[in-house]
Amino acid sequence: MTSSSQLLIPLHVRYIQSLGENKDDLTYHLTAHLRMNAVYWGLTALCIMDHKDALSKDETIEYVMSCWVDEAGAFGPHPDHDPHLLPTLSAIQILVIHDALDRIDVPRVTKFILSLQQPSGVFAGDQFGEIDTRFLYSAVNALSLLDQLHQLDVEKTVSYIKQCKNFDGGFGAVIGAESHAAQVWVCTAALAILDRLDVIDQDTLAWWLAERQLPNGGLNGRPQKLEDVCYSFWVLSSLSVLRKVSWIDADKLTSFILSAQDTENGGIADRPGDLPDVFHTIFGVAGLSLLGYPGLVDIDPVYCMPANLIESKGLRKGWEALPRKAS
Amino acid sequence: MHGVKRVQYSQAALEAKKQRDHDKLKAYLALSDDVIARKKSHDMSNEAFELTTRLLRMNPEFYTVWNYRRDMFIESLFPQRSPSEVNELLSDDLSLTFELLKQHPKVYGIWNHRRWCLEHIPDGPSPDDVNGYRNSTWNKELFVVEKMLDADARNFHAWNYRRYILATMPFPPPPKSELAYTTRKIEANFSNFSAWHQRSKVLTTLWETGELDRVKSIEEEFELVRNAMYTDPDDQSVWIYHAWLIGNGNYAARLQFEITSIQELLDEQPDSKWDKKALVDSCLELLAKLRDIDPPRRRRYDEIAEGIRSGNEMQ
Repeated sequence: MTSSSQLLIPLHVRYIQSLGENKDDLTYHLTAHLRMNAVYWGLTALCIMDHKDALSKDETIEYVMSCWVDEAGAFGPHPDHDPHLLPTLSAIQILVIHDALDRIDVPRVTKFILSLQQPSGVFAGDQFGEIDTRFLYSAVNALSLLDQLHQLDVEKTVSYIKQCKNFDGGFGAVIGAESHAAQVWVCTAALAILDRLDVIDQDTLAWWLAERQLPNGGLNGRPQKLEDVCYSFWVLSSLSVLRKVSWIDADKLTSFILSAQDTENGGIADRPGDLPDVFHTIFGVAGLSLLGYPGLVDIDPVYCMPANLIESKGLRKGWEALPRKAS
Repeated sequence: MHGVKRVQYSQAALEAKKQRDHDKLKAYLALSDDVIARKKSHDMSNEAFELTTRLLRMNPEFYTVWNYRRDMFIESLFPQRSPSEVNELLSDDLSLTFELLKQHPKVYGIWNHRRWCLEHIPDGPSPDDVNGYRNSTWNKELFVVEKMLDADARNFHAWNYRRYILATMPFPPPPKSELAYTTRKIEANFSNFSAWHQRSKVLTTLWETGELDRVKSIEEEFELVRNAMYTDPDDQSVWIYHAWLIGNGNYAARLQFEITSIQELLDEQPDSKWDKKALVDSCLELLAKLRDIDPPRRRRYDEIAEGIRSGNEMQ
């Protein structure tokens, strides 16, 4: 398996197209609880590689709507699975990308989302009560895409994030939790949407983020952990919001992401030599887009959706990516 | 999926693997379809309950089935059972989740179910001792989470769970005992950032309550950090913690002392004089050196140097 110095776009497009096809794959069935997320990851990756039409719009929308749980006013990840905030956000994102938001009962979904806010300001994922700043971000993102942000208690929401701030400038999953790049991203992006970046100790956090880069060029999610392609997005997009993308070595990171491609079957893995999956494919491609890799479409690091789409909805915030290279 | 290596199979090995996976898949889908059908028809029987156990052992990430299991507890298994029986059922699920966590230590759904079990322990065993069941079970949880952290000292699920237990258990140990726990973890491995993080939280609490004198405590922390720095100067956990300690005091003299210590560590020239320009110069010199030894972050060092220069010019 040779690595490549180029992003093998046609190969990755075919990889994404093939994802739903192998119904004999055990892993495919074991991950049904992530299916809605996976559809969103695949679609967004296609958009960034400028192959949005590689998957059928109608079939995708049909799948999304087959996951609607009417009693709850929300979406599950797969037909017959329970509704939850995470697949609800992914469903909304998919419909926005396909300009099909009219398929959603906005008041009911808004009600579902708002019902999950806890007295402390954080959000639960569903009625069973697990709390996490990932859910806080999902709620803020979803409400903003639905144009219902005015219904949110912003002060309460922001105050929870403030309390999650750690000694290193980063943020964790809940109050008291260790800083982790993915949680840093959800908190930073939520604050960006709410225009409250003042909460962040920007220099300290940007330093912590810059220190995620390892000698091999890859990024990790916490000190002393292994490099992983998905942090190309979590770390890079956070730096992009803080306008400090220059604080990491772009060339080394680009090489690292490209070396994690599966040059035979397509897709990108967490690190070179591992099995690819759609999760690492989108985040690798998104990272490359933020690094200005030629031939890719701009991605919005706050929403992890095509930038021009977010801009057309009037939701673009003051983030900065590296300029797109000509070739 | 994380950390799954690409493997080259021989044709024969590939065929065998395909057959195994096919059989596994058939069994899994049959069970999954059965459980989901029962859930849709609101089957709350013991038989359905046992099937969810089987299914969750095969796929503990299937959160819809954990939900179904909890609904069955509430709607059919708990009602008309004595507190002792309910406590027994919950203990069984605590054992089940402990077993599953050993194979799947980072699956959110398993940790969530554990919390749910703890939160549903009934009053008992008697009217005079309504918290007996709770106390005994919650006290065991610290032992459980210690086992998990012994297996993986950086597992943030386990650390979050530990903080939840300490915040919620009926008779928690005092914060100073948690401080001692972080000392143990740090001394076992100086690059355990999770332990340094926990320490930062516990110390902040102890300073706020006045149980520890902040100034004296920070002095002791600098000693601990210096120890760690000399043992492993490349470990970033220590430096990040160090930066926090500096920020927590506002001691210019301490800052000077620290820069001096760092210079010694780098085998640099002896102490700068205690005056502002010398401080600025030593900072700029250090930044130039950092640029050389840490090229990926050179843009950050450039920005900081710019900031120092322009700040200095304004004086």
